[in-house]
Amino acid sequence: MKGVAGTILWADMTNRGIEKKPIDEELVKKYLLGAGFLSKVIYDMVPPGTDPLSSENVLGIATGLLTASMFPQASRHVVAALSPLTDVWGESHAAGFWGPELKFAGYDAVMFTGASEKPLYLNIADDNVELLDAEGLWGKDVFETDDILRERHGKECRTLAIGQAGENLVRFAAIMNDRDRASARSGLGAVMGSKKIKAICVRGTGKIEVADEKNYLSHMDEFYRRMLANPFTPGRAKYGTTSLVELMQHIGRLPSYNMKQGVFEGYEKISGDAINAQYFVKPRADFSCLQRCARYTKVSSGPYAYEGGAPEFETQSSMGSRCGSDNLESVLYGHHLSNQYGMDTISLGGTISWAMECWDEGLITAEDTGGLELNWGNHEVIVKLTKMIAAREGFGDLLAEGSFRAAQKIGRGTEKFVMHVKKQEFAGQEPRAQKSMGLAAATAARGADHLYAFPVLDEAGFDEDIKKRFGEEYLPEMADRLNPTYKGIMVKECEDYMVMIESVGLCKYGTQIPPEFFYDDIALTLKIHNGLDLTRDDLQLIGERIVNLNRLFNVRLGISRKDDQIPKRLTDEPAPLGPPKGQVVELNQMLDEYYEQRGWDLETGLPFMETIRRVGLEEEAKGIALPQ
Amino acid sequence: MSELKFVFGDPDTCTGCMICVNVCSMYYFKVISPARSKVRVIRIEPGLDFPLFCRNCEDAPCINACPEKALSRTSKGIVIVNNRKCVGNGACVIACPYNAITINPDTGKAIKCIQCGQCVKRCPVDAIWTTTEEGLKKKDSDGRLARIYDEQKSELYNKEASK
Ligand code: SF4
Repeated sequence: MKGVAGTILWADMTNRGIEKKPIDEELVKKYLLGAGFLSKVIYDMVPPGTDPLSSENVLGIATGLLTASMFPQASRHVVAALSPLTDVWGESHAAGFWGPELKFAGYDAVMFTGASEKPLYLNIADDNVELLDAEGLWGKDVFETDDILRERHGKECRTLAIGQAGENLVRFAAIMNDRDRASARSGLGAVMGSKKIKAICVRGTGKIEVADEKNYLSHMDEFYRRMLANPFTPGRAKYGTTSLVELMQHIGRLPSYNMKQGVFEGYEKISGDAINAQYFVKPRADFSCLQRCARYTKVSSGPYAYEGGAPEFETQSSMGSRCGSDNLESVLYGHHLSNQYGMDTISLGGTISWAMECWDEGLITAEDTGGLELNWGNHEVIVKLTKMIAAREGFGDLLAEGSFRAAQKIGRGTEKFVMHVKKQEFAGQEPRAQKSMGLAAATAARGADHLYAFPVLDEAGFDEDIKKRFGEEYLPEMADRLNPTYKGIMVKECEDYMVMIESVGLCKYGTQIPPEFFYDDIALTLKIHNGLDLTRDDLQLIGERIVNLNRLFNVRLGISRKDDQIPKRLTDEPAPLGPPKGQVVELNQMLDEYYEQRGWDLETGLPFMETIRRVGLEEEAKGIALPQ
Repeated sequence: MSELKFVFGDPDTCTGCMICVNVCSMYYFKVISPARSKVRVIRIEPGLDFPLFCRNCEDAPCINACPEKALSRTSKGIVIVNNRKCVGNGACVIACPYNAITINPDTGKAIKCIQCGQCVKRCPVDAIWTTTEEGLKKKDSDGRLARIYDEQKSELYNKEASK
């Protein structure tokens, strides 16, 4: 097959063995690469009853079919394993240069089995692949690790690594690459840490051959023209996602004070404009990216001085409004620290804000915190806790378990303030202001998450796209953020599309927001890049198959409708302030519509056998009691 | 000879996307491969991304270095590699002060930028342009670009690091 490297690397951490296996083209036709590929391989290898932090778990890192292509934003890789945070399907994605470099070295994915007793790192220099001693690297942060490895193996190497958080098995540790790119959600950094894999250093001098050499560049020219002409692109270049703070405040969707409300009085101080006014240095891009939403920023002096990658909207909300903090320098610095230690800022902010609300309610006291005062907006404590969590020090050791487990341990009614689905903290979407986001968080295979479906078509005037993708009859309800009607239809369609996008290695920016490229563009690119003849219907079915397989993975672990639930605060307590004032999330109504669309049983949320047959998963479903 | 043209880039504007790199290897060799591109992009903190090309030196040490006389300057002032003569011995690679020549691992022949402009027209942020020594001086009247390049030169042109 063209457009891929053609080889999967298998590293046996227990026996320190490396094996190279050719890519299974039949599997690719059924699941593509990236997320789909990992979904299948890990489903087959990780049975129920596996401890996520044991040697039995399998950690996969895979590029997509179009990673390292010339398509706009084709830089991405996916990591997956059984999650130590949610205890169900764990998956996370990142951009950068590491994924393309892996392809140039000759590999489409790296799979880790077993666990080593002592720290190792994988060094890949084209054909030469070795597991090397990581003794001098263990204990180092992500930036130091990158410095040391590139000093040792060559400046042009690209690194992927865990920091101290992953080593210390923080349950929301990230896997970092290219210094400040994060596969953050699901806590897969802890899986990497449990296997004692410190890093993967890659240098590749190979090439990617494409199926249609003759017309390749002219097709790309047209994609580039469209991407640059899209009205979203200038704003992305100027703000990245940072200006979402203003937009979300405007629609009342900015999680504040542990999601008590969706508006924050200090929003201007942590906004995109505030970053641009004082700290912004330049926009940056990852491999083949035209939108350049990455930022390089600098805080020149004071306790929060640093220079490097900048937060995105998610961190502005999680370490800012969510914790009631309008101290922008601490948000920037907290983000930097999280990259350095390798942690998910969403779960970090979600966990700290949970503790802050419990403090506010008098349920957590100085006795628990070792004297730290967790008042809303106490930015010094937020930064301090960030360090303590990564090091599992004092109160940080408890918080390193994530808010769900921390609340289970403390009890005293703190459980009701945990803003989670399936034990994972909510991302920055207050769903009472955008109902589709509530449903998406409930159904996402990896627990509370906006990206599995990324249902943004009701966010900001995409009526035309709704018309094109669904039909005029769904307007105006589907485009109305506050109306639950048709959101089950939308979330289902978006999930199928987005898991497919994660399987080809493209960014959700450009394919979903703005929705410039869609199925037909992907099908065309798979044809000219990989030589695959897949129609829009084929791709949609593959997406549906992957979602159903992720569901089976979770069903095997006991997940059902009872777990597709969001906190009572969001379904029962009307939003107190701002544009969504008085709104709740009508989750059950949306869930019914969603299950119906999916061909899943309304009562249990389990796929009907007929659905499983239709998407071609009979083999996989053997032994699981599914409704007929 | 002051009209010698070369492609040059602004490391404050360049985002590091490598589209220029991909365009080059696709245009000339029908593959995507930084190792087969005539442009390199190097990221150096703090916040700099350098797109690096042949500088078309007036004294062109690469031409003199080649024992096969495979490099020559055309009437338009472009230094080109004659593939029939090139045996890939790498003398030009060593002679180039800008680390702008490499040997294509597939063909075993030297490859270098010939100022074709294919990347220039596709850079999404207009970070690169074709210029001359004189033109560059004019554009860089405050010396910002000269200074940044000079400060980073040991890393930019270090041949060991890019092995
Ligand atoms: S295409 Fe432009 S922005 Fe991208 S790396 Fe090349 S010079 Fe820099």
